[in-house]
Amino acid sequence: MANLRTIWVRVKGQAAQKQEDEALDEEIREHIAMLEERYVSQGLSAREAARAARLQFGNVTGLKERQRAVRGFLSPTEWWQDVRFGARMLAKRPMSNLAVVLALALGIGMNAAVFTFVNALLLRPPQGVSETNKLIEVWLHNPKSGGVQSYFPFTFPDYVYYRDHTKSLEGLMAFDGDGTQAIWNHEGTGEILHGQLVSGNLFSLLGVNAALGRTLVQEDDRLDNPRQVVMLSYPFWKQKLASDPGVVGKTVMLDGAAFTVAGVAPAGFTGLLIATSPDFWAPLTVQGRFTHDDSRMKDHSYWLIVAGKMRGAGQRQNVQAELHVLAKQAYQLHQSRNVPQGSVSGNNEELLDALAYPLTLVPGPFRGYVGAFTGGLLAVFALVLLIACTNAASLLLARATGRAREMATRSALGAGRARLVRQMLVESLMLAGIAGAAGIAVAWATSRLLIQLKPASIPLTLTIPMDWRVVLFTAVVSLATGVVFGLAPALRASAVKAAQVLKDESQTAGRKKTRMRNVLVVAQMATCVVLLAGATLCVRSLMNANAIDAGFDTHHIALATLDAGSLGYKPEKVQDFYARLLQRVESLPGVTSASYAHFLPLGTSRIQTSVGKQLGKDPNSMEVDVYQVGQGLLRTMGMPLLRGRDLTEQEANSNTPNAVMINETLAKRLWPGEDPVGKRIVLDGDGKTMSEVVGVVKDGKYHTLGEGPLSVVFRGTLPAMRTLVVRTQGDSRTLLDEVRREIPIADPLMAATDVQTIEEYMALPLFPARTVGWLLGTSGVLALVMTMIGLFGVIAYMVSQRTHEIGVRMALGARRSDVMKLVMGQGIRMTLVGLGIGLCAAIGAARLLSPLLYGIGANDPVTMSAVAVCLAAIALLACYLPARKATQVDPSIALRYE
Amino acid sequence: MADRKSEVLQGTLDLMVLKTLFAMGPLHGFGTARRIEQVSDGVLDLNEGTVYTALLRLQQQGWIRSEWGTSENNRRARFYSITKQGSKQLEREAENWERVAGVIEKVLRLERQG
Repeated sequence: MANLRTIWVRVKGQAAQKQEDEALDEEIREHIAMLEERYVSQGLSAREAARAARLQFGNVTGLKERQRAVRGFLSPTEWWQDVRFGARMLAKRPMSNLAVVLALALGIGMNAAVFTFVNALLLRPPQGVSETNKLIEVWLHNPKSGGVQSYFPFTFPDYVYYRDHTKSLEGLMAFDGDGTQAIWNHEGTGEILHGQLVSGNLFSLLGVNAALGRTLVQEDDRLDNPRQVVMLSYPFWKQKLASDPGVVGKTVMLDGAAFTVAGVAPAGFTGLLIATSPDFWAPLTVQGRFTHDDSRMKDHSYWLIVAGKMRGAGQRQNVQAELHVLAKQAYQLHQSRNVPQGSVSGNNEELLDALAYPLTLVPGPFRGYVGAFTGGLLAVFALVLLIACTNAASLLLARATGRAREMATRSALGAGRARLVRQMLVESLMLAGIAGAAGIAVAWATSRLLIQLKPASIPLTLTIPMDWRVVLFTAVVSLATGVVFGLAPALRASAVKAAQVLKDESQTAGRKKTRMRNVLVVAQMATCVVLLAGATLCVRSLMNANAIDAGFDTHHIALATLDAGSLGYKPEKVQDFYARLLQRVESLPGVTSASYAHFLPLGTSRIQTSVGKQLGKDPNSMEVDVYQVGQGLLRTMGMPLLRGRDLTEQEANSNTPNAVMINETLAKRLWPGEDPVGKRIVLDGDGKTMSEVVGVVKDGKYHTLGEGPLSVVFRGTLPAMRTLVVRTQGDSRTLLDEVRREIPIADPLMAATDVQTIEEYMALPLFPARTVGWLLGTSGVLALVMTMIGLFGVIAYMVSQRTHEIGVRMALGARRSDVMKLVMGQGIRMTLVGLGIGLCAAIGAARLLSPLLYGIGANDPVTMSAVAVCLAAIALLACYLPARKATQVDPSIALRYE
Repeated sequence: MADRKSEVLQGTLDLMVLKTLFAMGPLHGFGTARRIEQVSDGVLDLNEGTVYTALLRLQQQGWIRSEWGTSENNRRARFYSITKQGSKQLEREAENWERVAGVIEKVLRLERQG
């Protein structure tokens, strides 16, 4: 109570500050006057009385300071005084302050930029949705397996079971995690739209109201009677339909079926999944209209991301408890119906538990990975900021030394130590504040640059808004920065022994202060080594990755993905369309060959199957990647055929894989030391069909550029969805438009997705290395520049402080080379210590990077020594410039100037 | 005696001021200083300014309150008076002080042994 009261009184004290000051002045005046009167009445002269009264009363200024301190630390008038004074001090040295602010702004800005992504990915709740604190996400989890692979989305029957049996949730909604692409036939043309299938209750549970018409409702989403209705997104309605006010009730043709427009979603609502912005939403139960296959509504297909709305915020524990129970019940139900659950996991008997996560744009199970990645980046840039802080601290320490007299004078005039510390802190906080404001601008620009690194081939739209969280983060970082770099100099500066400093005429730097700055420089140097080594490793690995042999040509190829099945065509019509298109494309000028493939190496999707050597149950069968290819694909992609032959056109178009090609690794595993051509394998583990190996393909990279050898099978049996691969002699970029033009000529209703050059396609596998390379490269360069400025500053300051000493030495006969040795010696010592510590730390830290590196060891000796040599050379230069200045000291001037 | 003055012990000034106000009723700062001077018989080396700091501290604790009035020689002055809470606090503090003083006295009386 007493404490609360004290605080309240202090707060009140703020308001009445000025009044209180005046009252105190009056009291003091009266008190002294009365003392004087008394002395006068005792017979002292007026002057003597005044003197005696003042003596008896004590230090008036000190008392006022004390009273203010007791009344309230946060006295606004005093802060304002400090700020004004600080501004004057900062304006005195604009250049060096600008340098500090710039370095800090870059440091703060880079951190804020990374945080912008953390915020967009992990912190920001889905937009346009009400009561986000009540929303959770539910994932199936196989407790017996680990990592991302142990999490599953829901099957439709599982979703329905949970939805109908949950009591702790207000409702359970679901949506299509992969998204659905549909061809929109509009005025005789085809265009690809991105859609999302959602449960009928989704909009009402999220509290999303239609901007026009109505939202999708439960009635639209009935399994026995699905309604062919869609809800359009606001941007789609605005841009593609010219904001047609009468759109509700009209029909849109999607994948050859008529859908009625139920309404338009509000602007800003993009669903619950990160980086997707669907053009339309349709009921889950109509999914068969898009895929022409309703197997997804049955078991086995894990495709639904499920979210629930709790009855109240903070009830996740209860909901989780119920989910565990529901998971067991669902499992028992599967057992009794003899329906295997968990076919995805490869084990039909597994119990899949259900886990609840808070609903964010990044699905729960993946948050950890995104968090670790962005956290790592934040750590790197925190180091950069630390280097910037050290620079600033170093500069302020130097100033603190220069201001010892000022501090001594102020303390002699009655300023308390706390006041002096505060004054210095205000100055550093002002620097940090300006830097923080500039940092926001840096962050804005950087985050927009970073998003440019995203491969164009990913149809994701990521909004990275600078909302209040980013501003708050930047403010806190700036504040912390200001305190970190300002506190040590402030404490140093205020710890003056006034009498001693004022007596001591010369202003030599104390040994302690110099030592502290030296420690800072060594720390900087060490941090710089770590960052620079990391950056160099990443850049070298990026160069390696660009040079890596993917097993196919990464130039002169254009790609386009088509799905003739989506228009509901019969197989003959599909074949006919693809044959006509291929013919047209092959006759384009410059095109040397063209073919089709279902999935390409290094893509995001792939198919695996089992391969064995014998019919029936084969215990030695293994899982391999399968690529379904047309005739001539190997030639078109530039994949060398080592033995045998390509598939014939008939083999490629056949529905059964009578003839296949395998890669070197599989050949070696199946028939070591033998010629595999003519041998037979069994695909798909059905133990029925034998396939003849007709060719052996050179090994390539299939999942990631950094992987080891993998076994792969190339077979025919192309499905209706496939990628057109075109090889040209000329520039693949110009080919894209021509390919795009040919598709509607072959069939006006068709549209292609992912029309891209092979270079654009390769941006995806190179993406992680590129991003990390860019970011670490930037951090390395920043660290290098800042460290050099720091080292230069320290040596230059040392020279300026020792000008007198150097003058004496030279007057006593020291040669220039001696002076050079003296100055350089100190710089070299610091550099070597810093390098030593830094290299040890770098070797430790590089281990963390190793999964991202291609063709280079984490402790690559060439990189480490190159970094050390390069840094040492630049450090020498940073020392040399001030050292040369030292040798030019004129002894006569230096000695006179004291 | 006048040239051998004792320093005011940390924290004791507040107690002295509080007791003075309790005993004398409302007083201004000058009056409080006079009263302490009188009682201490010139033994204490008191910076009279510090009385005001003590007054402010006590006021913040809610143990005394102040109001403006006119002093005996017609000057405007702030008069401080003890509150109910202050009286209780004084009781506690005085008790505490006597206990501590008693201990110190006993310690100081210890005879040298052996």
